[in-house]
Amino acid sequence: MENQEQQASAADVLTQAIANKLDYLSTLQAAVQHGDDRKVYELLDQARYYQEVKKTRPARSVNHLSELVDNIHPQVSHYLSDNLINYLGHIYPFFYYEEYTTGLFHIYFGNWWDRRLFGDLDVINVQFQFDQNEYQKLKDSFALESQNKRLNTAKIESVSAESEKLQSLVDAQATRDNQKAQLRDQLKENSQRSSLPWDSSKVKDERQGIIDQLTKLADEDEKALNAHKLIKENDDKILVLSKEDTILSYEKQSIRDAFDDFEHFEAHNASLYADYLNSLLGKSEGEVKADD
Amino acid sequence: MINENDPSTLTTSGRLLNYNEAIKSGLETGLKFTQLMDQLIKTTDPDELVSAATQLADFELDSDYVTFPHQYSNSDYYLLFMSRMLELHDQGKHVILQSRDHHEELTQQLTPLGDRGTFNFRIETSENGGVFYRERATGQSLFYLNLERKMFRFNSHALTQLFIIDLHDTVPAETVKASVQILFDFARYLKEDYGYSVDFNILDMANRQNYAVRSADLPAGVVDRLFVTAAQNDYMLTNGVNGNGAEIALDKNVVVDIFNNQLEGQPEWVITVHDDAQQVSWFDVLLQYPFMRDWYLENLNDLEIQSDPLIFG
Repeated sequence: MENQEQQASAADVLTQAIANKLDYLSTLQAAVQHGDDRKVYELLDQARYYQEVKKTRPARSVNHLSELVDNIHPQVSHYLSDNLINYLGHIYPFFYYEEYTTGLFHIYFGNWWDRRLFGDLDVINVQFQFDQNEYQKLKDSFALESQNKRLNTAKIESVSAESEKLQSLVDAQATRDNQKAQLRDQLKENSQRSSLPWDSSKVKDERQGIIDQLTKLADEDEKALNAHKLIKENDDKILVLSKEDTILSYEKQSIRDAFDDFEHFEAHNASLYADYLNSLLGKSEGEVKADD
Repeated sequence: MINENDPSTLTTSGRLLNYNEAIKSGLETGLKFTQLMDQLIKTTDPDELVSAATQLADFELDSDYVTFPHQYSNSDYYLLFMSRMLELHDQGKHVILQSRDHHEELTQQLTPLGDRGTFNFRIETSENGGVFYRERATGQSLFYLNLERKMFRFNSHALTQLFIIDLHDTVPAETVKASVQILFDFARYLKEDYGYSVDFNILDMANRQNYAVRSADLPAGVVDRLFVTAAQNDYMLTNGVNGNGAEIALDKNVVVDIFNNQLEGQPEWVITVHDDAQQVSWFDVLLQYPFMRDWYLENLNDLEIQSDPLIFG
C-alpha cells in the first residue's frame, strides 16, 4: 500500500512537473500567436527580465524552463528579429543586418563602399557582439581625434616619407653618374702612378677609398632602379590606409549624428535590453493589463 | 573582223566614234557630278541631301578621256554634307566652313570653339570604307561615319584626349559642352531621320547606357581610390543597389554606378549615369566634377570607356 501511495505521489510530482512545462510552452505559444514579443523575452530569461526591466527579484524562483526552447533558438531568434531590427533601425540607423543563416545576423556598419563587417546581433539576448578588432579601431580613432589625428596618420606619414626618399634617390641619378665618372678618372690616375715602394701603401689606401665610394654609389643606383616598383607598392599601402581612415571617419560621423559621442553610444549599447523591452511594454500595455 | 575593243581593227571613223563616246560619257559624269553638287549645296530636302552625299562619297569624277584639274577631295563633300545637315535643322550657324585660297580644300570650325580646333574628314582607305572626323592639329579622330553602311561611331579616346585633357585648361567647360553638342546633334539627326546605327559612347545620356571600361576585370583599388577621393570632396561612394559594385550620388539626382555587369563567369565592369531627365552623360560628369575627372584620368589605363573595337581597335 505504502508503495502504491509513494507511486501515486511520484506520479503527481511528475505530472505537475510536466504540467509546468506544458504551461510554459503554451504560454510561450500564446505570446507568439499574439505577437507579444515582450512576453516571449520575459519567458526566455525571467531572471534578467525582472532584474533589468521590472527592477525587482522574480516572484518565483528561477525554473530553468526556458531551456526547453534552447534547441529552437534559431527559429525564436528569426521570429523576434523582425521587431527588434525595426526598433534598432531607428536608434542605430547606420547598422545593417544580414541573416546569414536562420536566426543568426551579421552586422554591417554603414552602407558606404567596402563597409566593415562589424560583428553579430544576438537577438535572443538583445545584444551586439562587436568584432573586438574592428571595435577597438573605432574606439582608438575616437581617442585620436583630440590630437587631430586619424588612426593611420602616422603610418601614412612614414610610408610617404619612405617614398620621398626613394624618389630623391631616383632624382639624384645624374649627380651620381657624374660622381662615378670622376671617381673612375681618379682610379685610372691612381693606377698609372709610379708605385715607388714608399708611396705604395698611400696609393693603395687611396685606391681602396675610391672603390668604396664607387661601391656605395652602385648600391644607390640599384636601389633607384627598384624605386619605382617600391613607390608603387607604397602607393597601394597608402590607399589601403586612407581607405580605412575614410571608413572610420564615416563611422565616427554616424555615431556623432545619432549619439553625439562615443560614450553615449556605449551607454546605449549597455542598456539596450532594458530599453527595448520597456519600449515593448509601452506598446503592449493594454495586453499586459488584460493578462493581469 | 572588226573588234570594237581593239582599236587597231577599227576604221578611222570607228575610232573617232569611240573617242567621241568616251568624251561624252566623261562629260556626262561631269554633269552628273554638277547635279549632285547642286543637290548637296542647295537642296532643302534631307533625303536628297543624304542621297547626294552618299553618291559623292565615292564619286570618281575623272575618266580616261576627261579629267578635271580643279577638284575637291571626296572628304570635303562630307564636310559640306555635315554643314548642310545642320543647316536643315536650323543649326547652320554652329559650324563654319572655310575653303583654302589657292587650292580646293575645305576645313571646318565649330563656332563655339573658334580657332581652338580645325576639323576635316579623313577617308578610311581600308575596305571598311567610311571617314573619320578629325581635329587636324592633334590628329584626334572624334567619330567615324559610313554613309553606305549607315554607321556612326563616337570615339571615347579622342573625345577624352581633346576635350577633357588638351582643351581643359584653356577652354571653359560650357564651351566644350556646346561644341560637342553640335557633333552629338549631327549624329542624332542621322539616327532619328535615317535610322543610322549610332554609338554615342560617352556622350550617350540614356540611363540604360552601360559604358564598358577597358579593364573588364576592374582592379578593386580603382574603386577604392574613388571612395577616398570622393570622401575628400564631400561625396560618399556607397555600395551599389545590386550589391556587385559601387554607387555615388552627385548633385541634382545624378547617380553614377560602377559595377560588374555579369553575375557569373567573366566579369564585365561598366559605368552608368542616371538622372531624372536623361540629360547627363559620362562626358558631362567628367566636365562638371573635377574629382571625377581626376580619378578617371589617373586610372585611364583601367577605366577608359571602350569604343567600337572594329573601328577604333
